[in-house]
Amino acid sequence: MQSVELCDRAAGAESLPSREPKKKVSKQERREQLIAFLFILPPIIGFLIFTALSVIFTVIYSFQDYNSLSNISTFAGLDNYLELFTSPTRGPLFRKAVVNTIVLLLSVPFSMILGLALAGLLRLGEVKGSKFFQVLYYLPSVSSAVALNIVWNYIFRSNGLFNTVFGLDVIWLDEGATIKAAIIFKNSLNAMGGAMILYLAGMLNVSSELYEASSLDGAGKLRQFFSITLPLISPVTFYLLITGLIGGLQSYADSQVFAGGNSGATTIVYFIWQQGIQGNNNQGLASAASVLLAVFIMIVTLIQFKVSNKWVYEE
Amino acid sequence: MERTKHISMPFGQRIRGILLRVFIYAVLIFGSLFLVMPYVWMLLGSFKDALDANALEFRFLPQEWIITNYTDLFTSPNFPIFSAFLNTVIVEVSVIVVGTFVSAMAAFSFAKLKLPHRTFWLLFLMSGMMVPYAALMLPQFRVFQELGMFDTLWPLILPGFFGNVSMIFFLVQYMRGIPNAYFEAARIDGAGHFVCFVKIMFPLVKTAVAAQVIFWFIGIWNDYFAPSIYLITPSHMTLQALLGSLNPSMNRQYLPMALAGAVLSSIPMLIIYLSCQKFFIESLAIGGVKG
Repeated sequence: MQSVELCDRAAGAESLPSREPKKKVSKQERREQLIAFLFILPPIIGFLIFTALSVIFTVIYSFQDYNSLSNISTFAGLDNYLELFTSPTRGPLFRKAVVNTIVLLLSVPFSMILGLALAGLLRLGEVKGSKFFQVLYYLPSVSSAVALNIVWNYIFRSNGLFNTVFGLDVIWLDEGATIKAAIIFKNSLNAMGGAMILYLAGMLNVSSELYEASSLDGAGKLRQFFSITLPLISPVTFYLLITGLIGGLQSYADSQVFAGGNSGATTIVYFIWQQGIQGNNNQGLASAASVLLAVFIMIVTLIQFKVSNKWVYEE
Repeated sequence: MERTKHISMPFGQRIRGILLRVFIYAVLIFGSLFLVMPYVWMLLGSFKDALDANALEFRFLPQEWIITNYTDLFTSPNFPIFSAFLNTVIVEVSVIVVGTFVSAMAAFSFAKLKLPHRTFWLLFLMSGMMVPYAALMLPQFRVFQELGMFDTLWPLILPGFFGNVSMIFFLVQYMRGIPNAYFEAARIDGAGHFVCFVKIMFPLVKTAVAAQVIFWFIGIWNDYFAPSIYLITPSHMTLQALLGSLNPSMNRQYLPMALAGAVLSSIPMLIIYLSCQKFFIESLAIGGVKG
């Protein structure tokens, strides 16, 4: 029905010049419009079911209390949202998850700084095996997060490789700040390769004339880096920051696999999983947390689209 | 050009240039050690026995090199890595074959057919990209449970059948570059739009599709969250779910086996990455600079 309605409207697309008489054209065009719509129908149905409907139901769940035994939902108003902040049992868990998630986001700027420094060095030294280093440094980004987390957990044990190599005696995997430090360390390391490649690509786009002109004016390499390179590659910085934040806000495997549920490293998504899936007893609360997370991520994403003009795909 | 400059430079400056390069290589190699170390450690640990790996005293090399961690993965009913491998391949193949076809067909419509409100529909689909999975998962979980699909591969496969928005978006841009003349001749000969898509467009964009398929493949291969939620019987698990269930941060005796599993599950991904490395790095760089 929807497609019939759509066919009545004028085609927004630029149409190919046709050789056929006018009346026939419009019939043919309607046919093409219908077929065009049928071609995009599967992704649209998928979107409606797996995104739109799912989001709507998450919002509905967040206003309900659900009893999984009797399979009955009762209206709960804003109770779930209030409980996230005020419940004496779950409130502290949620607060902890929020704080942990935010602290763990520190790996985003760290990986960017490391990536920027590495890209600067590759560029400055005109390194011969530049491609080799790029492939190597990017390896963790295509590796399985579970596999990496298993081995990093092993590395960070009290008698593990990290403490041994650096001659330390730190208990990394405890409930306090050290486990977060360990996660930030490994995530910075794992993400710096991607940042390096993007920064390097950005630097190669900066016109060499700018550097030549400023050299004539007596600017040193360091000065050039800060007053030419850095401002001109700011789109890369922005892109890395936003994609890093969006990914980091959804972090789950670190809490589950690396930390094994250790309360020093629970994240918001881990909290949602714990409340909504693991015990399957508190889906309303989990949904309320999901809605808050989704709203926050949407705001971040919209800022990205606004600034980077990603919507402008038609040139 | 820079190199000839170096030669014509005074001696002191040349020395400084060389020292700078030595410093840069030193930093890069130092960094490489950090990146290679986890993989080496994974490999070494996978040849240790559980006592050795969990020993209080630190040892770099295995006390005794054993391969039972690997053989156990193939024989133990609790951690059946071979069936996990098959399950992963089932998800990969079904999602990618159907999903790629669906995505490419939609992209063809967006790029070449007179689709009414095409910008609206494309933005409509893309708006889904900003919704985190956590905000979708609970209703889906409940529905899949009611449909009796809990602990099956269906919750991982079904959503993929409806295509992949980032693939659609990428292919739309690529297909726009294909001249209309290719299709006009076929249209005059009486070919329908579907035939135009299958016989003309698809072969023309094969490489672009292949590139997207590789990214999607790696994404599905490494996917952990959804498989870990839906799959509880070991023989129904995908590789990542199985690895997660070996979680050595909770069960220390599984550590060497988990490391062996991590090694085995990384091998196919590593082969793909290293054989398509140039393409990976270039696609990433283009995405970031343009994006």
